[in-house]
Amino acid sequence: MIRLSRLIAVAANTFRETVRERVLYNLVFFAILMTLSGLLLGQLSIRQDEKILKDIGLASMDLFGTLIAVFIGTGLVSKEIERRSLYPLLAKPLGRGEFFLGKFAGLAFTLLVNLGVMTAGLYLTLVLTGRGADPVLLAAVYPLFLGFLLVVAFAMLFSTVSSSSALAAVFTVGVVVAGRFTDVIRNMRDVAPGVPPWAVDVLYSALPNFRNFDFKDRVAYGDAVPPDVLAWVTLYGVAYVAVVLAIGLASFRSRDFQ
Amino acid sequence: MAPSIDTPLFVRGLSKSYRIGHVFQRRRPALEGLDLEVLRGEILGYVGPNGSGKTTTLKLLVGLLRSDRGEGWILGEPLAARGWRYRVGYLPEHPYLYDYLTPAEYLDYAGRLFGFSAARRRARARELLALVGLERSAGLPMRRFSKGMVQRAGLAQALLNDPELLILDEPMSGLDPIGRRLVRDLIAAQRKAGKTVLFSTHILSDAETLCDRVAVLRAGRLVKVGPLSELLQLDVAHVEVLASGIAASAPGLEAADRAEQVGDRLRLEVAEGRLGGVVAAVEAAGGRVLSVQPIRQSLEDYFYREMGTPSAGGTEAWGEG
Repeated sequence: MIRLSRLIAVAANTFRETVRERVLYNLVFFAILMTLSGLLLGQLSIRQDEKILKDIGLASMDLFGTLIAVFIGTGLVSKEIERRSLYPLLAKPLGRGEFFLGKFAGLAFTLLVNLGVMTAGLYLTLVLTGRGADPVLLAAVYPLFLGFLLVVAFAMLFSTVSSSSALAAVFTVGVVVAGRFTDVIRNMRDVAPGVPPWAVDVLYSALPNFRNFDFKDRVAYGDAVPPDVLAWVTLYGVAYVAVVLAIGLASFRSRDFQ
Repeated sequence: MAPSIDTPLFVRGLSKSYRIGHVFQRRRPALEGLDLEVLRGEILGYVGPNGSGKTTTLKLLVGLLRSDRGEGWILGEPLAARGWRYRVGYLPEHPYLYDYLTPAEYLDYAGRLFGFSAARRRARARELLALVGLERSAGLPMRRFSKGMVQRAGLAQALLNDPELLILDEPMSGLDPIGRRLVRDLIAAQRKAGKTVLFSTHILSDAETLCDRVAVLRAGRLVKVGPLSELLQLDVAHVEVLASGIAASAPGLEAADRAEQVGDRLRLEVAEGRLGGVVAAVEAAGGRVLSVQPIRQSLEDYFYREMGTPSAGGTEAWGEG
Protein backbone atom coordinates (compact mmCIF):
# COMPACT_ATOMS: atom_id res chain seq x y z
CA MET A 1 0.00 0.00 0.00
CA ILE A 2 1.31 3.41 -0.97
CA ARG A 3 1.46 5.89 1.90
CA LEU A 4 1.23 9.51 0.85
CA SER A 5 3.53 10.85 3.60
CA ARG A 6 6.44 8.72 2.36
CA LEU A 7 5.73 9.58 -1.26
CA ILE A 8 5.77 13.28 -0.34
CA ALA A 9 9.05 12.82 1.58
CA VAL A 10 10.69 11.36 -1.55
CA ALA A 11 9.15 14.08 -3.74
CA ALA A 12 10.35 16.84 -1.41
CA ASN A 13 13.86 15.44 -1.42
CA THR A 14 13.84 15.15 -5.22
CA PHE A 15 12.78 18.80 -5.48
CA ARG A 16 15.54 19.78 -3.04
CA GLU A 17 18.05 17.83 -5.13
CA THR A 18 17.08 19.64 -8.34
CA VAL A 19 17.34 23.00 -6.59
CA ARG A 20 20.74 22.20 -5.06
CA GLU A 21 22.02 20.72 -8.32
CA ARG A 22 21.23 24.13 -9.84
CA VAL A 23 18.65 22.82 -12.31
CA LEU A 24 16.64 26.01 -11.90
CA TYR A 25 19.59 28.08 -13.16
CA ASN A 26 17.89 27.91 -16.56
CA LEU A 27 15.60 30.61 -15.17
CA VAL A 28 18.50 33.05 -15.26
CA PHE A 29 18.93 32.41 -18.99
CA PHE A 30 15.21 32.84 -19.44
CA ALA A 31 15.26 36.14 -17.57
CA ILE A 32 18.15 37.42 -19.71
CA LEU A 33 16.36 36.28 -22.87
CA MET A 34 13.15 38.04 -21.90
CA THR A 35 14.96 41.26 -20.96
CA LEU A 36 16.91 41.35 -24.22
CA SER A 37 13.80 40.50 -26.26
CA GLY A 38 11.82 43.25 -24.56
CA LEU A 39 14.55 45.82 -25.26
CA LEU A 40 15.27 44.80 -28.84
CA LEU A 41 11.68 44.37 -29.96
CA GLY A 42 10.73 47.85 -28.81
CA GLN A 43 11.62 49.08 -32.28
CA LEU A 44 8.96 46.97 -33.99
CA SER A 45 5.25 47.71 -34.40
CA ILE A 46 3.05 46.92 -31.39
CA ARG A 47 1.23 43.90 -32.93
CA GLN A 48 4.37 42.33 -34.39
CA ASP A 49 6.57 42.57 -31.30
CA GLU A 50 3.89 41.23 -28.99
CA LYS A 51 3.56 38.06 -31.05
CA ILE A 52 7.33 37.62 -31.29
CA LEU A 53 7.71 38.14 -27.56
CA LYS A 54 5.05 35.53 -26.84
CA ASP A 55 6.62 33.17 -29.37
CA ILE A 56 10.07 33.49 -27.81
CA GLY A 57 8.70 33.14 -24.27
CA LEU A 58 6.58 30.06 -24.95
CA ALA A 59 9.23 28.38 -27.11
CA SER A 60 11.82 28.92 -24.36
CA MET A 61 9.48 27.44 -21.77
CA ASP A 62 8.95 24.43 -24.03
CA LEU A 63 12.66 23.99 -24.71
CA PHE A 64 13.91 24.40 -21.11
CA GLY A 65 11.09 22.27 -19.70
CA THR A 66 11.67 19.45 -22.19
CA LEU A 67 15.43 19.49 -21.57
CA ILE A 68 14.90 19.27 -17.81
CA ALA A 69 12.28 16.54 -18.20
CA VAL A 70 14.57 14.43 -20.42
CA PHE A 71 17.90 14.84 -18.70
CA ILE A 72 16.83 15.02 -15.08
CA GLY A 73 14.05 12.49 -15.69
CA THR A 74 16.39 9.82 -17.04
CA GLY A 75 18.70 10.26 -14.06
CA LEU A 76 15.92 10.13 -11.47
CA VAL A 77 16.03 6.37 -11.07
CA SER A 78 19.14 5.29 -12.98
CA LYS A 79 21.44 7.60 -11.01
CA GLU A 80 20.02 6.20 -7.79
CA ILE A 81 20.77 2.68 -9.02
CA GLU A 82 24.23 3.50 -10.36
CA ARG A 83 25.26 5.31 -7.15
CA ARG A 84 23.40 2.80 -4.95
CA SER A 85 21.85 5.66 -3.00
CA LEU A 86 18.48 3.91 -2.98
CA TYR A 87 19.83 0.85 -1.12
CA PRO A 88 19.55 2.20 2.44
CA LEU A 89 16.19 3.79 1.60
CA LEU A 90 14.54 0.66 0.18
CA ALA A 91 15.62 -1.30 3.27
CA LYS A 92 13.44 1.09 5.27
CA PRO A 93 9.62 0.98 5.25
CA LEU A 94 9.64 2.66 1.85
CA GLY A 95 7.89 0.73 -0.92
CA ARG A 96 9.32 0.71 -4.41
CA GLY A 97 6.04 2.26 -5.62
CA GLU A 98 6.36 5.13 -3.14
CA PHE A 99 9.95 5.72 -4.20
CA PHE A 100 9.20 5.63 -7.94
CA LEU A 101 6.10 7.81 -7.80
CA GLY A 102 7.74 10.13 -5.28
CA LYS A 103 10.61 10.75 -7.68
CA PHE A 104 8.09 11.48 -10.45
CA ALA A 105 6.12 13.87 -8.23
CA GLY A 106 9.31 15.66 -7.14
CA LEU A 107 10.43 16.38 -10.68
CA ALA A 108 6.87 17.30 -11.68
CA PHE A 109 6.90 19.91 -8.91
CA THR A 110 10.28 21.23 -10.09
CA LEU A 111 8.89 21.58 -13.61
CA LEU A 112 5.79 23.29 -12.28
CA VAL A 113 7.86 25.83 -10.32
CA ASN A 114 10.13 26.34 -13.31
CA LEU A 115 7.19 26.86 -15.65
CA GLY A 116 5.40 29.09 -13.14
CA VAL A 117 8.40 31.40 -12.76
CA MET A 118 8.94 31.56 -16.53
CA THR A 119 5.26 32.33 -17.09
CA ALA A 120 5.46 35.11 -14.52
CA GLY A 121 8.61 36.37 -16.29
CA LEU A 122 6.86 36.45 -19.63
CA TYR A 123 3.88 38.31 -18.21
CA LEU A 124 6.19 40.76 -16.45
CA THR A 125 8.04 41.44 -19.72
CA LEU A 126 4.75 41.99 -21.56
CA VAL A 127 3.45 44.36 -18.89
CA LEU A 128 6.72 46.31 -18.50
CA THR A 129 6.95 46.83 -22.26
CA GLY A 130 3.39 48.15 -22.30
CA ARG A 131 1.70 45.21 -23.99
CA GLY A 132 -0.72 43.99 -21.32
CA ALA A 133 -1.10 40.58 -19.65
CA ASP A 134 -2.97 38.24 -21.94
CA PRO A 135 -4.69 35.42 -19.94
CA VAL A 136 -5.02 33.35 -23.14
CA LEU A 137 -1.31 32.54 -22.78
CA LEU A 138 -2.14 30.19 -19.90
CA ALA A 139 -4.06 27.97 -22.33
CA ALA A 140 -0.71 27.20 -23.98
CA VAL A 141 1.31 26.94 -20.77
CA TYR A 142 -0.92 24.35 -19.11
CA PRO A 143 -0.69 21.76 -21.98
CA LEU A 144 3.08 22.31 -22.04
CA PHE A 145 3.18 21.10 -18.44
CA LEU A 146 1.16 17.99 -19.34
CA GLY A 147 3.63 17.29 -22.13
CA PHE A 148 6.57 17.61 -19.69
CA LEU A 149 4.92 15.09 -17.36
CA LEU A 150 4.66 12.64 -20.24
CA VAL A 151 8.33 13.16 -21.11
CA VAL A 152 9.30 12.50 -17.47
CA ALA A 153 7.17 9.34 -17.42
CA PHE A 154 8.94 8.04 -20.56
CA ALA A 155 12.34 9.04 -19.17
CA MET A 156 11.65 7.10 -15.96
CA LEU A 157 10.35 4.09 -17.89
CA PHE A 158 13.48 3.94 -20.05
CA SER A 159 15.76 4.46 -17.07
CA THR A 160 14.28 1.40 -15.35
CA VAL A 161 14.58 -0.90 -18.37
CA SER A 162 17.95 0.25 -19.74
CA SER A 163 21.32 -0.27 -18.14
CA SER A 164 22.51 3.35 -18.26
CA SER A 165 21.07 6.83 -17.99
CA ALA A 166 22.76 7.79 -21.28
CA LEU A 167 20.87 5.06 -23.14
CA ALA A 168 17.64 6.08 -21.40
CA ALA A 169 18.22 9.68 -22.52
CA VAL A 170 18.73 8.54 -26.13
CA PHE A 171 15.47 6.55 -26.07
CA THR A 172 13.56 9.41 -24.45
CA VAL A 173 14.85 11.98 -26.94
CA GLY A 174 13.85 9.54 -29.70
CA VAL A 175 10.28 9.33 -28.41
CA VAL A 176 10.05 13.10 -27.91
CA VAL A 177 11.33 13.86 -31.41
CA ALA A 178 9.17 11.18 -33.04
CA GLY A 179 6.18 12.34 -30.99
CA ARG A 180 6.61 15.89 -32.26
CA PHE A 181 6.65 14.72 -35.87
CA THR A 182 3.82 12.20 -35.86
CA ASP A 183 2.38 13.89 -38.97
CA VAL A 184 5.47 12.80 -40.84
CA ILE A 185 4.84 9.22 -39.70
CA ARG A 186 1.22 9.42 -40.85
CA ASN A 187 2.36 10.64 -44.25
CA MET A 188 4.98 7.93 -44.49
CA ARG A 189 2.76 6.01 -46.91
CA ASP A 190 3.23 8.76 -49.46
CA VAL A 191 6.90 9.35 -48.75
CA ALA A 192 7.94 5.68 -48.42
CA PRO A 193 5.35 3.48 -50.18
CA GLY A 194 7.40 0.34 -49.41
CA VAL A 195 6.56 0.51 -45.69
CA PRO A 196 3.56 -1.75 -44.85
CA PRO A 197 0.48 0.32 -43.94
CA TRP A 198 -0.11 -1.67 -40.75
CA ALA A 199 3.41 -0.80 -39.53
CA VAL A 200 2.70 2.89 -40.11
CA ASP A 201 -0.61 2.57 -38.23
CA VAL A 202 1.01 0.77 -35.27
CA LEU A 203 3.83 3.30 -35.04
CA TYR A 204 1.47 6.25 -35.33
CA SER A 205 -0.89 4.88 -32.65
CA ALA A 206 1.83 3.76 -30.22
CA LEU A 207 3.79 6.98 -30.17
CA PRO A 208 2.55 9.83 -28.01
CA ASN A 209 1.49 12.80 -30.09
CA PHE A 210 3.29 15.71 -28.47
CA ARG A 211 1.68 18.11 -30.95
CA ASN A 212 -1.51 17.63 -28.95
CA PHE A 213 0.13 19.69 -26.21
CA ASP A 214 1.28 22.47 -28.49
CA PHE A 215 -0.95 25.56 -28.62
CA LYS A 216 1.87 28.08 -28.82
CA ASP A 217 1.11 29.44 -32.29
CA ARG A 218 -2.58 29.66 -31.58
CA VAL A 219 -2.29 31.75 -28.43
CA ALA A 220 0.52 33.89 -29.84
CA TYR A 221 -2.04 35.15 -32.36
CA GLY A 222 -4.45 35.78 -29.48
CA ASP A 223 -6.82 32.90 -30.33
CA ALA A 224 -8.49 31.28 -27.32
CA VAL A 225 -8.39 27.51 -26.76
CA PRO A 226 -11.90 26.09 -26.12
CA PRO A 227 -12.31 24.41 -22.70
CA ASP A 228 -13.44 21.11 -24.27
CA VAL A 229 -10.16 20.95 -26.22
CA LEU A 230 -8.21 21.53 -23.00
CA ALA A 231 -10.29 18.86 -21.25
CA TRP A 232 -9.54 16.37 -24.03
CA VAL A 233 -5.81 17.20 -23.89
CA THR A 234 -5.90 16.72 -20.10
CA LEU A 235 -7.55 13.32 -20.48
CA TYR A 236 -5.08 12.29 -23.18
CA GLY A 237 -2.07 13.44 -21.15
CA VAL A 238 -3.18 11.96 -17.83
CA ALA A 239 -4.13 8.60 -19.37
CA TYR A 240 -0.85 8.37 -21.29
CA VAL A 241 1.22 9.34 -18.21
CA ALA A 242 -0.66 6.78 -16.08
CA VAL A 243 -0.02 3.94 -18.55
CA VAL A 244 3.68 4.77 -19.06
CA LEU A 245 4.24 5.20 -15.31
CA ALA A 246 2.46 1.89 -14.61
CA ILE A 247 4.76 0.05 -17.05
CA GLY A 248 7.82 1.79 -15.56
CA LEU A 249 6.72 0.97 -12.03
CA ALA A 250 6.12 -2.71 -12.90
CA SER A 251 9.64 -2.84 -14.33
CA PHE A 252 11.12 -1.07 -11.28
CA ARG A 253 9.30 -3.39 -8.88
CA SER A 254 10.65 -6.52 -10.53
CA ARG A 255 14.20 -5.25 -10.80
CA ASP A 256 17.17 -6.70 -8.95
CA PHE A 257 19.68 -4.22 -7.55
CA GLN A 258 22.95 -6.07 -7.94
CA MET B 1 8.68 -23.76 9.29
CA ALA B 2 8.13 -20.68 11.46
CA PRO B 3 11.14 -19.48 13.45
CA SER B 4 11.19 -19.21 17.24
CA ILE B 5 11.01 -15.84 18.95
CA ASP B 6 14.70 -16.10 19.85
CA THR B 7 15.71 -16.21 16.21
CA PRO B 8 15.41 -12.70 14.76
CA LEU B 9 16.74 -13.94 11.45
CA PHE B 10 15.92 -17.34 10.05
CA VAL B 11 16.65 -18.45 6.50
CA ARG B 12 16.05 -21.76 4.78
CA GLY B 13 17.30 -22.83 1.35
CA LEU B 14 17.90 -19.29 0.11
CA SER B 15 19.32 -19.37 -3.41
CA LYS B 16 20.18 -16.74 -5.98
CA SER B 17 21.76 -16.83 -9.40
CA TYR B 18 22.66 -14.01 -11.76
CA ARG B 19 22.26 -13.93 -15.52
CA ILE B 20 25.54 -13.44 -17.29
CA GLY B 21 26.33 -12.87 -20.95
CA HIS B 22 24.39 -10.82 -23.47
CA VAL B 23 23.40 -12.98 -26.44
CA PHE B 24 23.80 -16.46 -24.96
CA GLN B 25 22.71 -15.84 -21.41
CA ARG B 26 23.36 -18.37 -18.69
CA ARG B 27 22.93 -18.27 -14.96
CA ARG B 28 25.78 -18.18 -12.48
CA PRO B 29 24.85 -19.28 -8.97
CA ALA B 30 25.75 -16.68 -6.35
CA LEU B 31 24.16 -18.33 -3.35
CA GLU B 32 23.02 -21.92 -3.01
CA GLY B 33 20.65 -23.29 -0.42
CA LEU B 34 21.64 -21.03 2.46
CA ASP B 35 20.35 -22.14 5.88
CA LEU B 36 21.17 -19.55 8.51
CA GLU B 37 19.91 -18.51 11.91
CA VAL B 38 20.95 -15.47 13.87
CA LEU B 39 20.14 -15.72 17.53
CA ARG B 40 18.74 -12.92 19.65
CA GLY B 41 21.40 -10.71 21.23
CA GLU B 42 24.36 -12.15 19.35
CA ILE B 43 26.81 -10.70 16.88
CA LEU B 44 27.19 -13.02 13.93
CA GLY B 45 30.11 -12.38 11.61
CA TYR B 46 29.51 -13.31 8.00
CA VAL B 47 32.89 -13.95 6.45
CA GLY B 48 34.17 -15.33 3.19
CA PRO B 49 36.35 -14.56 0.20
CA ASN B 50 35.47 -12.15 -2.58
CA GLY B 51 32.47 -13.27 -4.59
CA SER B 52 31.45 -15.84 -2.01
CA GLY B 53 27.92 -14.42 -1.76
CA LYS B 54 28.05 -12.28 1.38
CA THR B 55 26.64 -9.10 -0.14
CA THR B 56 24.15 -11.12 -2.19
CA THR B 57 22.82 -12.66 1.03
CA LEU B 58 22.41 -9.32 2.77
CA LYS B 59 20.71 -7.79 -0.28
CA LEU B 60 18.32 -10.75 -0.45
CA LEU B 61 17.45 -10.22 3.20
CA VAL B 62 16.59 -6.53 2.82
CA GLY B 63 14.74 -7.02 -0.47
CA LEU B 64 17.17 -5.42 -2.92
CA LEU B 65 17.38 -8.77 -4.72
CA ARG B 66 14.68 -11.38 -5.37
CA SER B 67 15.59 -14.93 -4.44
CA ASP B 68 15.26 -17.83 -6.90
CA ARG B 69 14.32 -20.23 -4.12
CA GLY B 70 14.09 -20.42 -0.38
CA GLU B 71 12.35 -18.55 2.35
CA GLY B 72 13.22 -16.42 5.31
CA TRP B 73 11.81 -14.58 8.29
CA ILE B 74 13.02 -11.45 9.96
CA LEU B 75 11.73 -10.76 13.48
CA GLY B 76 9.01 -13.34 12.93
CA GLU B 77 7.74 -11.91 9.64
CA PRO B 78 8.34 -13.26 6.14
CA LEU B 79 11.02 -11.47 4.12
CA ALA B 80 8.39 -10.04 1.75
CA ALA B 81 6.52 -8.29 4.59
CA ARG B 82 7.11 -4.63 5.35
CA GLY B 83 6.52 -4.62 9.10
CA TRP B 84 10.00 -5.78 10.09
CA ARG B 85 11.54 -2.87 8.21
CA TYR B 86 10.49 -0.59 11.07
CA ARG B 87 12.65 -2.67 13.41
CA VAL B 88 15.74 -3.38 11.29
CA GLY B 89 18.73 -1.21 10.36
CA TYR B 90 20.81 -1.76 7.23
CA LEU B 91 24.13 -0.35 6.11
CA PRO B 92 25.10 -1.23 2.52
CA GLU B 93 28.69 -1.75 1.45
CA HIS B 94 30.33 1.58 0.48
CA PRO B 95 27.17 3.58 1.13
CA TYR B 96 26.37 6.61 -1.00
CA LEU B 97 24.23 9.07 0.90
CA TYR B 98 23.04 12.00 -1.20
CA ASP B 99 26.08 14.27 -1.22
CA TYR B 100 24.01 17.44 -1.66
CA LEU B 101 22.51 16.84 1.80
CA THR B 102 24.04 17.39 5.21
CA PRO B 103 24.00 14.33 7.50
CA ALA B 104 21.34 16.02 9.63
CA GLU B 105 19.15 16.52 6.55
CA TYR B 106 19.69 12.93 5.46
CA LEU B 107 18.65 11.62 8.86
CA ASP B 108 15.63 13.91 8.79
CA TYR B 109 14.64 12.51 5.39
CA ALA B 110 15.13 8.92 6.55
CA GLY B 111 13.13 9.70 9.70
CA ARG B 112 10.19 10.81 7.56
CA LEU B 113 10.19 7.38 5.92
CA PHE B 114 9.68 5.86 9.37
CA GLY B 115 6.88 8.35 10.07
CA PHE B 116 8.75 10.07 12.93
CA SER B 117 7.49 13.45 14.14
CA ALA B 118 9.65 16.51 13.39
CA ALA B 119 10.72 16.78 17.05
CA ARG B 120 11.73 13.12 17.18
CA ARG B 121 13.65 13.44 13.92
CA ARG B 122 15.60 16.42 15.23
CA ALA B 123 16.37 14.78 18.57
CA ARG B 124 17.38 11.48 16.99
CA ALA B 125 19.65 13.18 14.43
CA ARG B 126 21.43 15.12 17.19
CA GLU B 127 21.85 12.00 19.30
CA LEU B 128 23.13 9.80 16.47
CA LEU B 129 25.51 12.34 14.98
CA ALA B 130 27.09 12.70 18.42
CA LEU B 131 27.26 8.92 18.71
CA VAL B 132 29.17 8.51 15.44
CA GLY B 133 31.35 11.57 16.10
CA LEU B 134 29.87 13.78 13.39
CA GLU B 135 28.15 16.41 15.53
CA ARG B 136 30.60 19.09 14.39
CA SER B 137 29.94 18.24 10.73
CA ALA B 138 26.15 18.09 11.05
CA GLY B 139 25.71 21.15 8.84
CA LEU B 140 28.23 20.26 6.13
CA PRO B 141 27.08 18.81 2.79
CA MET B 142 28.27 15.22 2.56
CA ARG B 143 30.12 15.93 -0.71
CA ARG B 144 32.78 17.41 1.57
CA PHE B 145 33.02 14.26 3.67
CA SER B 146 35.84 11.75 3.64
CA LYS B 147 35.01 8.11 2.95
CA GLY B 148 35.21 7.34 6.64
CA MET B 149 32.82 10.16 7.53
CA VAL B 150 30.29 8.92 4.96
CA GLN B 151 30.60 5.44 6.45
CA ARG B 152 29.87 6.84 9.90
CA ALA B 153 26.88 8.81 8.58
CA GLY B 154 25.72 5.55 6.98
CA LEU B 155 25.93 3.85 10.33
CA ALA B 156 23.91 6.66 11.90
CA GLN B 157 21.09 6.15 9.37
CA ALA B 158 21.15 2.41 10.09
CA LEU B 159 20.67 3.13 13.79
CA LEU B 160 17.97 5.77 13.25
CA ASN B 161 15.01 3.59 14.25
CA ASP B 162 16.85 2.02 17.22
CA PRO B 163 16.70 -1.33 15.41
CA GLU B 164 16.37 -4.72 17.07
CA LEU B 165 18.41 -6.27 14.27
CA LEU B 166 21.31 -4.56 12.50
CA ILE B 167 22.45 -5.84 9.11
CA LEU B 168 25.80 -4.32 8.19
CA ASP B 169 27.70 -4.95 4.98
CA GLU B 170 31.41 -4.38 5.51
CA PRO B 171 30.90 -1.69 8.17
CA MET B 172 34.64 -1.20 8.76
CA SER B 173 35.50 -0.85 5.10
CA GLY B 174 37.40 2.32 4.27
CA LEU B 175 37.81 3.43 7.84
CA ASP B 176 41.03 4.55 9.47
CA PRO B 177 42.05 2.85 12.74
CA ILE B 178 40.18 5.41 14.86
CA GLY B 179 37.05 5.04 12.74
CA ARG B 180 37.28 1.25 12.92
CA ARG B 181 37.58 1.39 16.66
CA LEU B 182 34.54 3.67 16.85
CA VAL B 183 32.45 1.33 14.69
CA ARG B 184 33.64 -1.71 16.63
CA ASP B 185 32.63 -0.03 19.89
CA LEU B 186 29.25 0.91 18.42
CA ILE B 187 28.56 -2.66 17.36
CA ALA B 188 29.65 -3.97 20.74
CA ALA B 189 27.37 -1.41 22.41
CA GLN B 190 24.45 -2.74 20.36
CA ARG B 191 25.02 -6.21 21.75
CA LYS B 192 25.21 -4.77 25.25
CA ALA B 193 21.83 -3.13 24.64
CA GLY B 194 20.37 -6.52 23.76
CA LYS B 195 20.33 -5.94 19.99
CA THR B 196 21.24 -8.50 17.36
CA VAL B 197 23.88 -7.81 14.73
CA LEU B 198 24.69 -9.59 11.48
CA PHE B 199 27.69 -8.13 9.73
CA SER B 200 29.82 -9.18 6.83
CA THR B 201 33.48 -8.44 6.89
CA HIS B 202 36.71 -9.30 5.19
CA ILE B 203 38.73 -7.98 8.11
CA LEU B 204 39.13 -11.18 10.08
CA SER B 205 40.54 -9.50 13.16
CA ASP B 206 37.33 -7.47 13.48
CA ALA B 207 35.28 -10.65 13.32
CA GLU B 208 37.52 -12.21 15.95
CA THR B 209 37.21 -9.21 18.25
CA LEU B 210 33.46 -8.78 18.00
CA CYS B 211 31.62 -11.93 17.06
CA ASP B 212 29.90 -14.49 19.22
CA ARG B 213 29.59 -16.75 16.21
CA VAL B 214 30.95 -16.76 12.70
CA ALA B 215 29.33 -18.03 9.50
CA VAL B 216 31.83 -18.90 6.83
CA LEU B 217 30.76 -18.73 3.21
CA ARG B 218 32.57 -20.02 0.18
CA ALA B 219 31.45 -19.99 -3.46
CA GLY B 220 27.85 -19.32 -2.44
CA ARG B 221 27.70 -22.14 0.09
CA LEU B 222 27.79 -22.00 3.84
CA VAL B 223 30.86 -23.91 4.94
CA LYS B 224 30.64 -23.59 8.68
CA VAL B 225 28.73 -21.78 11.41
CA GLY B 226 29.69 -21.77 15.02
CA PRO B 227 31.25 -20.04 17.98
CA LEU B 228 34.79 -18.87 17.38
CA SER B 229 36.06 -21.18 20.13
CA GLU B 230 34.81 -24.16 18.11
CA LEU B 231 36.18 -22.90 14.85
CA LEU B 232 39.54 -21.85 16.21
CA GLN B 233 41.09 -24.84 17.86
CA LEU B 234 43.17 -24.01 20.88
CA ASP B 235 46.56 -25.68 20.55
CA VAL B 236 47.09 -26.29 24.25
CA ALA B 237 49.96 -28.66 23.56
CA HIS B 238 52.21 -25.68 22.77
CA VAL B 239 52.77 -22.34 24.41
CA GLU B 240 54.41 -19.14 23.33
CA VAL B 241 57.06 -17.64 25.57
CA LEU B 242 58.10 -14.05 25.02
CA ALA B 243 61.41 -13.11 26.65
CA SER B 244 63.81 -10.17 26.64
CA GLY B 245 67.50 -9.72 27.41
CA ILE B 246 68.49 -13.08 26.02
CA ALA B 247 69.76 -14.56 22.74
CA ALA B 248 68.40 -17.66 21.00
CA SER B 249 71.78 -19.34 21.46
CA ALA B 250 71.57 -19.26 25.28
CA PRO B 251 72.05 -22.67 26.94
CA GLY B 252 68.85 -24.64 27.60
CA LEU B 253 66.82 -22.92 24.87
CA GLU B 254 67.40 -25.76 22.41
CA ALA B 255 64.43 -27.37 24.18
CA ALA B 256 62.16 -24.88 22.37
CA ASP B 257 60.63 -26.07 19.10
CA ARG B 258 61.11 -22.69 17.53
CA ALA B 259 62.98 -19.52 18.44
CA GLU B 260 62.47 -16.24 16.62
CA GLN B 261 63.99 -12.83 17.33
CA VAL B 262 61.29 -10.12 17.18
CA GLY B 263 63.02 -6.77 17.68
CA ASP B 264 64.68 -6.88 21.09
CA ARG B 265 62.50 -9.79 22.15
CA LEU B 266 62.81 -13.50 21.71
CA ARG B 267 59.70 -15.49 20.80
CA LEU B 268 59.84 -19.18 21.68
CA GLU B 269 57.38 -21.96 20.84
CA VAL B 270 57.63 -24.63 23.48
CA ALA B 271 55.90 -27.96 24.09
CA GLU B 272 53.90 -27.76 27.31
CA GLY B 273 55.98 -30.46 29.01
CA ARG B 274 59.24 -28.56 28.49
CA LEU B 275 57.91 -25.14 29.57
CA GLY B 276 59.42 -25.26 33.08
CA GLY B 277 62.88 -26.04 31.76
CA VAL B 278 62.81 -23.28 29.15
CA VAL B 279 61.60 -20.64 31.64
CA ALA B 280 64.37 -21.69 34.03
CA ALA B 281 66.92 -21.47 31.18
CA VAL B 282 65.79 -17.91 30.32
CA GLU B 283 66.14 -16.80 33.94
CA ALA B 284 69.47 -18.58 34.39
CA ALA B 285 70.89 -16.73 31.36
CA GLY B 286 69.83 -13.37 32.87
CA GLY B 287 66.79 -12.94 30.65
CA ARG B 288 63.27 -11.94 31.61
CA VAL B 289 60.06 -13.81 30.77
CA LEU B 290 57.54 -11.24 29.53
CA SER B 291 54.59 -13.51 28.80
CA VAL B 292 53.54 -17.14 28.50
CA GLN B 293 50.37 -17.98 26.58
CA PRO B 294 48.83 -20.92 24.75
CA ILE B 295 49.24 -20.84 21.00
CA ARG B 296 45.86 -20.08 19.53
CA GLN B 297 44.88 -20.43 15.93
CA SER B 298 43.60 -17.17 14.42
CA LEU B 299 40.55 -16.88 12.19
CA GLU B 300 42.97 -16.14 9.40
CA ASP B 301 44.78 -19.42 10.08
CA TYR B 302 41.42 -21.15 9.94
CA PHE B 303 40.61 -19.58 6.57
CA TYR B 304 43.91 -20.56 5.07
CA ARG B 305 43.69 -24.07 6.44
CA GLU B 306 40.09 -24.66 5.33
CA MET B 307 40.07 -22.85 2.03
CA GLY B 308 43.64 -22.45 0.94
CA THR B 309 45.29 -19.26 -0.22
CA PRO B 310 44.27 -17.64 -3.50
CA SER B 311 47.58 -18.77 -4.94
CA ALA B 312 46.82 -22.34 -3.91
CA GLY B 313 44.41 -22.70 -6.76
CA GLY B 314 41.23 -21.06 -5.52
CA THR B 315 39.50 -18.84 -8.04
CA GLU B 316 38.13 -16.57 -5.36
CA ALA B 317 40.04 -13.58 -4.18
CA TRP B 318 40.36 -12.72 -0.54
CA GLY B 319 38.93 -9.48 0.59
CA GLU B 320 35.69 -7.66 0.11
CA GLY B 321 32.66 -9.16 -1.53
